[in-house]
Amino acid sequence: MKKPAPGPRLHSLELPLDGVTLLVPSAAVAEVINPQATMAPVPFSQPWLKGVIGWRTLAVPVISFETLVGAPTPVNTATGKIVIFYPLSGRSDWEFYAMFATAEPRPQLLTRSEPVVTEAEMPDLPYIAAGLKVDGRLMLIPDVEALKKVFYPA
Amino acid sequence: MRLQLGDTGYLLPSMPGFTIEQRENLITNKSPEGNVAAWRAVQNRRLPAYGLDAALRVTRPPRWRRAVFLDVSPQTVGLVVDEVQLLPRAETVISPFTPLGLPPTRLGHLFSGAWITGQRAILVFEPKALIAYLQSLGEE
Repeated sequence: MKKPAPGPRLHSLELPLDGVTLLVPSAAVAEVINPQATMAPVPFSQPWLKGVIGWRTLAVPVISFETLVGAPTPVNTATGKIVIFYPLSGRSDWEFYAMFATAEPRPQLLTRSEPVVTEAEMPDLPYIAAGLKVDGRLMLIPDVEALKKVFYPA
Repeated sequence: MRLQLGDTGYLLPSMPGFTIEQRENLITNKSPEGNVAAWRAVQNRRLPAYGLDAALRVTRPPRWRRAVFLDVSPQTVGLVVDEVQLLPRAETVISPFTPLGLPPTRLGHLFSGAWITGQRAILVFEPKALIAYLQSLGEE
């Protein structure tokens, strides 16, 4: 494992999913809410798009990252959380999106001394840019450019 | 207008040409075969109306009461619904919404907005895509 140079600390959130843990910048997350029984399914949408919820007068699509990467969809999403993300760069200011998490996200203060996981240690999953070992645990950083391409195909 | 399909409501924006017909004014498809739920007889033509369930799959809804016909080229198409409600424009503030991922029709996504009431989102059809979907169903 490579050790990056020390630098400014980065406030991040650890998002527990089913089988993997994502690591995202805290600034990318708008809010964490409880799952809603009122989530509306979107007919003929991609299997990973689980529905749409109303949030602050906006319509926010909710995805399952597990389904997106080809892993089995968690059976029970009612006990976890919905993490609402700010729009991806270059998108309209109303294009918030959300993701199921299996539990409350936990804050992580990264010091940039966390070891970067080598390619050999990385799970074979799409839409992942890199991995870090934080407190000995593997955390995966989503590839937002790849997400943008699959969310908003030209 | 609000369309009730099974246990789910959808909104259809105002369109220049549409007609709402009562069930008793239509010819119900009594054959179990085919996608058409009913026809509206106009002069020497029959205009098809389709039944969709809440997931927009073709079905024969048992309790449909009305059909909404959309007067478009090349062929008027209809949708049978359990209920239809015309909503005052001032009562419905539509938020933009585009489903993520690849669109299911050649004309794009079936929805272009959502009416948000609290935490509930009622999806708003994109008329051109809905019409293209209905026209693609055919008679079989």
